[in-house]
Amino acid sequence: MVSVIENIGRVGLDTTNSLLDTLSFAGRVIMRIFNRETYNSATRVVLLNQIYFTAVQILPLFLVGSIVFGTLLIGVVFQIITDLGLADYLGNILMGLLVIELAPLITALLIALRSGSAINAEIAVMKVNQELKTLEVFNIDVIDYLFVPRIINGVLSVSLLTSLFSVVVLISGLLFSNFIFGMSFDAYANVLLNSTNLADIILSIVKAAAFGFFITMIPIRSGLNATHELTSIPVSVLHGMVKVFIAILMIEVLSLILRMI
Amino acid sequence: MKFFNSEDSLEKELNDFAIKNKENLGLVSLDVPLISNLDVWINIALIRQYHQNLPPEEAEKEVVRYLQRYHLEKIAHRRSSVLTDEERFCVMLLRAAMVVDAILVIDRPFKILPELQNSQFIFDSIRVIDDLYRESRIFDYIWFKDRYRIIDAT
Repeated sequence: MVSVIENIGRVGLDTTNSLLDTLSFAGRVIMRIFNRETYNSATRVVLLNQIYFTAVQILPLFLVGSIVFGTLLIGVVFQIITDLGLADYLGNILMGLLVIELAPLITALLIALRSGSAINAEIAVMKVNQELKTLEVFNIDVIDYLFVPRIINGVLSVSLLTSLFSVVVLISGLLFSNFIFGMSFDAYANVLLNSTNLADIILSIVKAAAFGFFITMIPIRSGLNATHELTSIPVSVLHGMVKVFIAILMIEVLSLILRMI
Repeated sequence: MKFFNSEDSLEKELNDFAIKNKENLGLVSLDVPLISNLDVWINIALIRQYHQNLPPEEAEKEVVRYLQRYHLEKIAHRRSSVLTDEERFCVMLLRAAMVVDAILVIDRPFKILPELQNSQFIFDSIRVIDDLYRESRIFDYIWFKDRYRIIDAT
């Protein structure tokens, strides 16, 4: 019994320490993001490359995925609305459920799977190969050169791709509403505008930015925890991605609580 | 040139020297590898881009000019993994020379160039860029003394 309590305590302490470490690291990175001295020719090149890898290279896949998934979602939503006679709530469901809740979540999951894991492996490989030491020897700050551009890229990419996903879903909604309810473009736009709440839009943007921040920062932090052995790379990616998933859930839950308040 | 009779004494001296000359240290060492996911030219240009805010286009032109001194301009857009030991050594030398007022420290060059039988290539490579650094030093083991064609160790 005592050992069970000890184990629970140990897990609790480890989790708390890990959370505090992550938040303290996040604080240091945020301070650097807002420091003008962080930015120079080298960091700008890294930022542009990262945006290209994360937000531009993924566009064909993301667009196809958004169209297929968005259209299917809209199809299901319209069927439910029709079956339950909830046509009056069309705008609320489209904006509240699909645009504000699902668009950032799906985008964050996709970017976490693709770029979060890549960043985690990249940093872990650099640690194993002693490339972080190279930067240190040449007085290049790893936070400025490696971390800040990747995290800014995460925030920008997730926010922009979330907007793109929302646009695709809303266009699908327009087509379905016209096809199923015979609704004109003006009527559809009116329904959407009437159900749009500025606070919800701001919350959605903040949520997308928070997703972007944590799905790039946590893999970086996890990559830094790799040792100098090759076998530590998959372990670091595994731990990093689990933490990213937990962070996504926590942000989603927090945003739902904020919406209910 | 400095010779040491053990790894510990060499590394201690190297560390002390690196701490004393942190700002100007241009270290060439297997322990300070090229960054594997960057092209050769970015590995070299990075120092000036970061510390002197040199625009990337200008930095690339400058690096290609320096690589031409070794007739290695063709490797500018390659990655470290496909380079020969000699090419990698020259790139590491150039990168170290990009430090302002650089003090080049070549740490155990025969570890970077294990196939090399004598130091001719090392000295020739350093000479090619002698306008780019303030001074240069080589740290190595005493048992490699003969490869430097030195009879009495200093």
